[in-house]
Amino acid sequence: MPTEGGLDRRLRRIEEIVASLDSDAVDLDEALALFEEGVGHLRHAQRILETAELRVEELIGAEGDEAREFEAPDQGDHDDGDRG
Amino acid sequence: MSDDTLDLFADRAPAQTGEPSSAAGAGTEHSEGLWPSRTPGPRVWTVRQVNRAVRLQLEQTLPQLWVAGEVTNFRRQRSGHCYFTLKDDVAQLRCVMFRREAARLPTDPREGMTVRVFGGLTLYEARGVYQLVAARLEAESEGGMWKLAFDRLKRRLDAEGLTDAARKRGLPPFPGTVGIVTSPTGAALRDVIAVVARRAPWVRLLVRGTRVQGRGAGEAIAAAVSILASRDVDVILVARGGGTIEDLWGFNEEAVARAVASSPVPVVSGVGHETDVTICDLVADLRAATPSAAAEAAVPDRRAVVRTLDSLGTRLGKGLAGQARSRRWRLDQARDLLYRRGRRRVETGRDRLTRERLLLAGIMRKGIAHHRARLARAAASMEALSPMSTLARGYAVPLDGRGRLLRTTADFPPALDFGLRVVDGRVACTVADTPDRSPPAASNRAGRVRRAD
Repeated sequence: MPTEGGLDRRLRRIEEIVASLDSDAVDLDEALALFEEGVGHLRHAQRILETAELRVEELIGAEGDEAREFEAPDQGDHDDGDRG
Repeated sequence: MSDDTLDLFADRAPAQTGEPSSAAGAGTEHSEGLWPSRTPGPRVWTVRQVNRAVRLQLEQTLPQLWVAGEVTNFRRQRSGHCYFTLKDDVAQLRCVMFRREAARLPTDPREGMTVRVFGGLTLYEARGVYQLVAARLEAESEGGMWKLAFDRLKRRLDAEGLTDAARKRGLPPFPGTVGIVTSPTGAALRDVIAVVARRAPWVRLLVRGTRVQGRGAGEAIAAAVSILASRDVDVILVARGGGTIEDLWGFNEEAVARAVASSPVPVVSGVGHETDVTICDLVADLRAATPSAAAEAAVPDRRAVVRTLDSLGTRLGKGLAGQARSRRWRLDQARDLLYRRGRRRVETGRDRLTRERLLLAGIMRKGIAHHRARLARAAASMEALSPMSTLARGYAVPLDGRGRLLRTTADFPPALDFGLRVVDGRVACTVADTPDRSPPAASNRAGRVRRAD
C-alpha cells in the first residue's frame, strides 16, 4: 500500500473535508472532528514534503512480480538513443 | 543450399571428374544391347546439373544489388516467406523475401508501389526459375514503408476511436506511484529520475525495464505497460530517447497501441524528440515531447504542492469558521424567532385572559339577577310537579332502604324495614306479617311504627 496515507490521499481527503465544511450537512461536533482530521492530514502532508526522498524500484522477473531497489547502471551504457 | 556448396567442384566440372552420372554412363551401359552403341558424343548434362551450374554462375558473378521497380502480386505465405514480382514497363523479376527478413518489414507493400529491393540473384533449381532473394525492401516514397505501416495502423486505430481526444484521461494531480516503461540502462530513465527527484521526491517510481528497439521491441514494450498497469500505479510513463524511425519502430507497433489503450491508469508517452510522433504518442492520454517533459507532466512541482497545502489550510479554517458563524447566525435567528413568538403568545394570552375575565364579570353581574329569576321560576315549576303537594294532602309513600318505591304486596315481605315518606318527614316501619293482597289495606296493617327522624 505505497500510497496509503501518501500525499495524494491526504490531499484528496482534505478536499473532501473542505467540501463538507462548506456545506450545511454536518453538525457542529462533526465539523470540529473534520477540521481536526484535516489539520492532521495537512501536518502529515507538510512532513512528507519536507522529508521525502525519491524511491526508485524496479519490477523484475518475467511477470514483474518482484520489486527491488533500482540501481542506476553506469553512465554511458545507454541503448535508447539521444537524450530527449 | 550449404550442402550444395560442398559439391561445388563436382558440379562445375562434371566432365573432368568422369563421374558416372546417368547421362555420361549411358554409352557403356547400353554397349551390349540390341542397338548399335553410339560413339562417345558430346557431353550431355542433366537438368539438375544445368540448373545448379546456372545458379552458381548467377550467385558468383552478380554481387548483391539494389533493384528498383513496382511491386506486384505480393503474397505473404503462412510460413512467413513473401513472394512478389518486381516489374517495370517491359520486364519482370521474381522475388522472394524469406521469413527472417520479411519479419522486419513494417508492413506489406501496396500493389503497384514503387520500391527498391536489395538482394542477391539466384536460381530456384526445382523450377528453373531465377529470382531475387530480397534482404531489404524500401519504398521509394518519402517515409517509405515505415510511413505506410504507420498510416495503415493509424487509420485502423482512428477508425476504432483509440486516438480520439475524448478518450484522453486527465492525469492525477498528485500521483503517489509513477510507473515507467523504458530501457533500464537508458538516458531517458536517468532524465525521468532526475526530474521526479527534483519536483516530487515523495513519489515512488516503479521501473519496468524493457528492450526499446530491435526485433520484438513492440511486444516487450506492450508487455511492460501491461505489467505496470496491473500494479498499484497512478500513472504510467512510456519513455525513450530520440533515434531513427527504425530505432523508434517498437513504439509504432500495434501491440503497444493496444496495451496503452487498455491501461486502467493514464499513460504519458515521451518518445524521441519533439518532431517524432509515434503510434504510442497518439494513443497515450498525453503526449510529451521528450522523456523529461513526460516526467514533468506526470508529477507536480513541490512548490505547487506547498501552495495547494497553504490554500487547503486556509479553506479548512474558513470552513470551520463558516460552520461556527452559520451556527451562531442560526442560533441568533432561532432565539429571535422564539423570543418574538413567545412574547406574542404571552401577550395574546394576557389579552385573552383579561377579556375573558371582563366578560365573565359582566356575565356574572348581569346573570345573577337573571339566574335568580330563572331559579325562582324553576323552583315554582318544580313545586307544581312535586309529590310533596300530594303528601301534603295526607298521602304517604313507602320507600325501601335505598329509596326505591314499594308498590305491591310482593314488595313487602315479612319483617321488611322500610320508610314511609310523609309530608313533613320520614317514618321507619317494619312489616309485621304476610301482607294481605287485598288492597288498599297495606298501610293500615303496618305493625309497630316508630319515628325515624
